[in-house]
Amino acid sequence: MEFPVIFWGVFAWMISWGVVGSVVTRRVYLNKDLDTSNAGMVGSMLGASTGPVGLILLWIKTPPITSRMMLFPSLAAVGVFMVAFAIADPNNLCVVNGSFVASQISNGLIIGIIYGFMALGLTLIFSILGVVSFAHGEFYMIGGMITYFVTTVWFPGINPMIGIGIACIATFAIGATFERLFLTPMYSGKIGRPVEYGILITFGLAFTLQYFVQALVGANPVKAKRFFDFPRIRLPDAADPWLIKTSRGNLELFDTISISNPRFTAAIMCILVFIALMYFLRRTWTGKALRAVSQDREAAAIAGINPDRMNMLAFALGSMIAALAGAMLVQAFSWLPQVGAIPAMRSFVIVVLGGLGSIPGAFLGGVIVGLVEAAGTGCIPDAQQAASYIPAYGMFVLILTLLLRPTGLLGRRFSSATHGKF
Amino acid sequence: MKKTLFSVAGFAAVLAVSVSATAVLAAECPIKIGGLAPLSAPGAVGGGEAMRDAMLFAERDINAAGGVLGCDVKVVIADTEGLPEKASAVMEKLITQDGVVAVGGGYHSSVGVAAKDVSNARKIPTVFAETWNDTITGDKQKFIFRIAPLSSWASATLWKAALRVPGIKKVAIVTENTDYGIPAAAETKKGLASGGVEAEIFGVDIGMQDFSGIVERVKAGKPDYIIVLNTGEAGYNFAQQAADAGIGPQDIPFQAGQVALESKAWWENVPDGNMAFVQRIGTPVATWNAKAKKLNEDYKAKTGKDAIESYALEAYDSISILAQAINEAKSTDGEKIVTALENISHDGTLGRIYFPYGSKKDPSVDGKGDEWWHQWPDPAMTMIQYQKENQNSTDAPIIWPDAYKSGDAIYVK
Repeated sequence: MEFPVIFWGVFAWMISWGVVGSVVTRRVYLNKDLDTSNAGMVGSMLGASTGPVGLILLWIKTPPITSRMMLFPSLAAVGVFMVAFAIADPNNLCVVNGSFVASQISNGLIIGIIYGFMALGLTLIFSILGVVSFAHGEFYMIGGMITYFVTTVWFPGINPMIGIGIACIATFAIGATFERLFLTPMYSGKIGRPVEYGILITFGLAFTLQYFVQALVGANPVKAKRFFDFPRIRLPDAADPWLIKTSRGNLELFDTISISNPRFTAAIMCILVFIALMYFLRRTWTGKALRAVSQDREAAAIAGINPDRMNMLAFALGSMIAALAGAMLVQAFSWLPQVGAIPAMRSFVIVVLGGLGSIPGAFLGGVIVGLVEAAGTGCIPDAQQAASYIPAYGMFVLILTLLLRPTGLLGRRFSSATHGKF
Repeated sequence: MKKTLFSVAGFAAVLAVSVSATAVLAAECPIKIGGLAPLSAPGAVGGGEAMRDAMLFAERDINAAGGVLGCDVKVVIADTEGLPEKASAVMEKLITQDGVVAVGGGYHSSVGVAAKDVSNARKIPTVFAETWNDTITGDKQKFIFRIAPLSSWASATLWKAALRVPGIKKVAIVTENTDYGIPAAAETKKGLASGGVEAEIFGVDIGMQDFSGIVERVKAGKPDYIIVLNTGEAGYNFAQQAADAGIGPQDIPFQAGQVALESKAWWENVPDGNMAFVQRIGTPVATWNAKAKKLNEDYKAKTGKDAIESYALEAYDSISILAQAINEAKSTDGEKIVTALENISHDGTLGRIYFPYGSKKDPSVDGKGDEWWHQWPDPAMTMIQYQKENQNSTDAPIIWPDAYKSGDAIYVK
């Protein structure tokens, strides 16, 4: 970094005014007997981006806090941070190389979509059962393993969708069976501490699945063959394909953004399934029943919904979503029984960041984590350290968000959290 | 009188039998030797399994040859997972619970660095098979020996081979941030600088999967050569993701990590991995001795692989040299085994193994650094290149050094 004083000076200025904004704004709103739930966040973001000018205006007018009032100061704070970075390190790749920035953004978006998709399952299970499934990474692993064996070992040449389908069915069945056998005691009041029970039993499932798979298939890394080849496309013309150029394994946009085939297909599949899942949850009776149970179990039961069945469906569906993410990524990453550990940890970060129980929040959290990781990896000046801190980038965003908005980005203020008990 | 004589003779006979038996019984049968190997992620599981199989072959061969001190040998395999915290724990367990009298094996440097302090404190002789970090022997600990090459020395192979790439000006070194990767990258960078070549180091976590961000950063730097110092599946993930992004082994000269020696896994995980260079330890297959050839045949029959890996040979030798040392020491006492190891001449699969520097002669006497303490000085280091798809690493031509050369390098670009 060429001018570190500028960067750290601006950073300190933002932190100072952010803290002042957070503390004082909350107090000002409290004194005027106004809603203070998001006052700290708005104050801190406004303080970080505009300093005393914006804060004084806010304190005088004290308008009702809307989502726009949270969004725009947050974006402005990010903008100030980026400008300070650009001035302080004018030769950084993220400042001088537009195509590099575009590539990093596209990489961040794609991996963020995949992260978010995997976290969907976790948040779905939590919103219905009130349980954090610590076996989520193992379902991800099993999804990939089954797809690998079906498409590469047992039936090479088979349509990969069949392999993915088998992985989904198998993990759905494992999830449903596990829920019936081991989680039902939580609902009947037989367990004194259902939260701890849920954590321990899913931990146990995680270890069992991981070592069972290791005993069955060994611990050597495997990888499925690419599911589909890109057709050869050259646009706008074959001689100068500046818009789109594809090879079997790669897609290049605008001569700058390069996306590998496995990643691209995984992201598209995740988006399609996300849309289908939202349709299922919002438009079908079963989906509405799931949402109803997540909001108020007793009211849902009075309306004729069986919450126990919804518990089973949620756990099975959540496990299947994790497996589907694994099934799509087994063509992109080397796969082994321990492969789920890191994605599972990242999913925990994402669901808390997005708001426990919020499905759009999980997706948004995934995209944010993906983008922040890409920015950190690409822009931190010391190349030796940039990628070493990848797990820390998401944690940093999580801590900042929880400090300012404890419910997460799109979390509900009052979660049912009845741990499946009816 | 006669009765007394018989009694004395009988007592003497019993005493003689007891004394000779005591020598053996002093070492409880079977004599246990620990074997360190990474058998779970994030360790290099393929390498760990190869080492485990080789150490069990060593156990079989030692016992077939009469065992040690009249006892059978039992190799107790311990999974290090490639993690230093796990390494300390399993070394402690091997010594205190399993009762091993010596320890062999070991793949990751971080494991060696962490485990050596435990075994040295407990006075258990340890011969590390594949841990390269200089400090493992550089601390001059009495009970620590090594038959793997030194990291600084292995790095010299990397940068000397890199300097032969035509028109080379800039190198990207992607390394795991471990006790193996960090010093190896720094040594390689220093060596490249001595040849006027610029190098940039990219550090990554040992279990990293998604390299897309770092691949773009490497690509933006437009390197003429890429060196990967990652063990485990991260080595495969980076290579294939780099290939997807157009900077793989078929796009620019590319030196893959050690995991590329696992040919079957390499081609499955990195289908675009042809033309990769890989560093290999040990003499070329054509020059292997009878012991190595026999082990190779047994290993192939058991594992179904095309050939034994170099680190499996090292693992085998680390156990068999300990067995010889225990026999020569005539004891399982750690101090005596160390003395035997310092004086040993062992005909292993890698050649004659000996330790010229130790308590008898300090490395400084010959102007050598501390890292040469209890260090075998002769492991051969070569650079091979995959030049055909699905080629076996033992069939791939050695392109450097010239003493072992069996084919010319192909430099893509």
